[in-house]
Amino acid sequence: MREKTEVQNRIKPGLARPLLRVEDLKLYFRTTQGIVQAVDTISFALGRTQALAVLGESGCGKTSLAKAILRLLPRNVQTYSGRVELDGVDVMSWSEERFRREVRWTKVSMVAQAAMNSLNPVLRVGEQIAEPLIVHRGMDKKSAWARAREVVQLVGVPADFLQRYAFELSGGMRQRAVIAMALVTNPDLVILDEPTSSLDVLTQANIMNVLKNIKREFEKSFVLITHDIATSSELADCVAIMYAGQLVEWGTSEQFYPKPLHPYSQKLMASVPRLREERALDFIPGRPPSLINPPRGCRFAERCPSKFFQCEQEPPMIEVQGGRLVKCWLYR
Amino acid sequence: MTETIRRVVTYTVYRVVALALTVVVGVYLAILIANMGGYVDQIRKAQIDEAVGASVLGDRSLQGLPPSELRRIIDQRKEIEYKRLGLDKPFIVRSFAYLWDALTLNLGRSEQLSSDSGSRQVRLILLERLPATLLLFGTANLLLFFFSLFAGLWLSRRYGGFLDRLVIALTPTSVAPAWFYGIFLILIFASLLKVLPFGGMVEAPPPKDTLQYALSVLKHMILPTLALWLSSIFISIYSRRTFFLIFASEDYVEMARAKGLPSGIIERRYILRPTLPTIITQFAFLLIGLWGGAIILETVFNWPGIGRLTFQAIGLYDTPVIVASTVIYAYLLALTVFLLDIVYALVDPRVKVGAEGGAL
Repeated sequence: MREKTEVQNRIKPGLARPLLRVEDLKLYFRTTQGIVQAVDTISFALGRTQALAVLGESGCGKTSLAKAILRLLPRNVQTYSGRVELDGVDVMSWSEERFRREVRWTKVSMVAQAAMNSLNPVLRVGEQIAEPLIVHRGMDKKSAWARAREVVQLVGVPADFLQRYAFELSGGMRQRAVIAMALVTNPDLVILDEPTSSLDVLTQANIMNVLKNIKREFEKSFVLITHDIATSSELADCVAIMYAGQLVEWGTSEQFYPKPLHPYSQKLMASVPRLREERALDFIPGRPPSLINPPRGCRFAERCPSKFFQCEQEPPMIEVQGGRLVKCWLYR
Repeated sequence: MTETIRRVVTYTVYRVVALALTVVVGVYLAILIANMGGYVDQIRKAQIDEAVGASVLGDRSLQGLPPSELRRIIDQRKEIEYKRLGLDKPFIVRSFAYLWDALTLNLGRSEQLSSDSGSRQVRLILLERLPATLLLFGTANLLLFFFSLFAGLWLSRRYGGFLDRLVIALTPTSVAPAWFYGIFLILIFASLLKVLPFGGMVEAPPPKDTLQYALSVLKHMILPTLALWLSSIFISIYSRRTFFLIFASEDYVEMARAKGLPSGIIERRYILRPTLPTIITQFAFLLIGLWGGAIILETVFNWPGIGRLTFQAIGLYDTPVIVASTVIYAYLLALTVFLLDIVYALVDPRVKVGAEGGAL
């Protein structure tokens, strides 16, 4: 136990002052079936102008992680604990009101998973994009709209679309409008929760390019939550793999994509089709464990091809060469 | 801009025509039913036959004439009487004349009831009673609507709290109709405490001073308004609260929370605004629904409105008054729906007729 904490304290080596630092973050929900451990003791750090891709299957707690960082909690929260630091300041301890005022959309903004429905159907798109500026920056309506006009053009939305309602925009345009909304207050960190999942491939590519440009030009940090490994590689500087509510691997893109370490990551990568390579697509037998009563020991053990006796016990985060972290006994 | 105006005008005309048709069909059906599909004509003809026969046979000046001559006189007088009442034409033809009279509010003369000024004109009787009903039910409904709206919103923020559970527990009290509460309120405040009047709309000799008059009406309104309010308040709050809870989990509300908007703005712009059309519909239906309950409540409180009038008319078999109040009801219903449509178009940009909505 002690050893584990020590390793976690050294998490994200090489980062003197991370922008975002999450430590032992837990988010449990109460349901009629029991307690769902959606985010279970997750720690990571993210530097300025870096993009972290959080990868994992549906239901592994990726979205809950995003919401836990922004403290967007549903009514049935059972446990919400740990540390969330922004620029070295622990914002977890802040009051709800201070957090709303000083974190949401001023420091951290988010593009929610259901971006298609993230726009209020009865307000003009421009009103919704300009709104955070009026609320957080105290701008008057006119200059807020002027700024909104600038930002939407940045993401490829014609300025006159601001006068429209959400139902008058196509899916791709709506997604861009939501991204513009997340950028309008110029926050340090943008959490992108499946920003391209519901779009066709061409629009996906288009939006990923927009995000890349923004990252380069405006020096933003991103947390990109996705199950799409191929798209994530476009943007990510480092990669975190989530499985059953826990982080199982962390590494930089250069380290991770060519050679994933955790058996789960390897299986995940093997399931992605590649061009000019004749091979059957791999899949992982079995199903991810329930987050209500997760198995003791390694949570992946049941489906793991390299399972051995030690997997009965929960593995710690183990640091391997180059500062990579992996939660697997194979690397002890 | 001209495009929008054209669209709004088209929309309005379209709705007016549709509603007018609805009213016409509704009133015509009411006429068919009130006349038992023409069977009432048979009854009236039989009554005329009997009356004419009796009068001819009982007429001394005609006695001694041969039976065939008597028969001829009876038939002749019957024909005159049928013609006078229009019974010589088939019912289907006359039903349209009735329809026209009803729709133009040419409501005819009552058989038993009269207005306070002594007129037998059904239209005058109704116009005299209508303001009383509108005053009472308008006030009660507005109070109910706004109170339950804001209480529901407030309660949705306190999901699972003590007050929330209390309101849920009290919801079944709305099963009892308003007049039921009215009886108890009269018992407590009029009979036992003697602080409020038993019923009526104004003191027995009405005060001459306008202010005094208004105060007296206000005092008489307290108990019936309270009865109406009590009978629906908990179910209204409960349904509003549940409704807001459902809409508070929409993605755009979550987004608004993520944006760090203060809860006041979230409630106004992200919960109330998108749900306004539904709330207004609920309000309109409440309004229409309470018209039905008005008959008994007005009778219990001796309130001189349309409901009490209908009650009296039914008791006295005063058909013209019953038909006329049905017609008024149909008109009010249509007017409510029409206003509802206009309000919809104002509050919800998605409501557009003839516009091809959707993606680019």
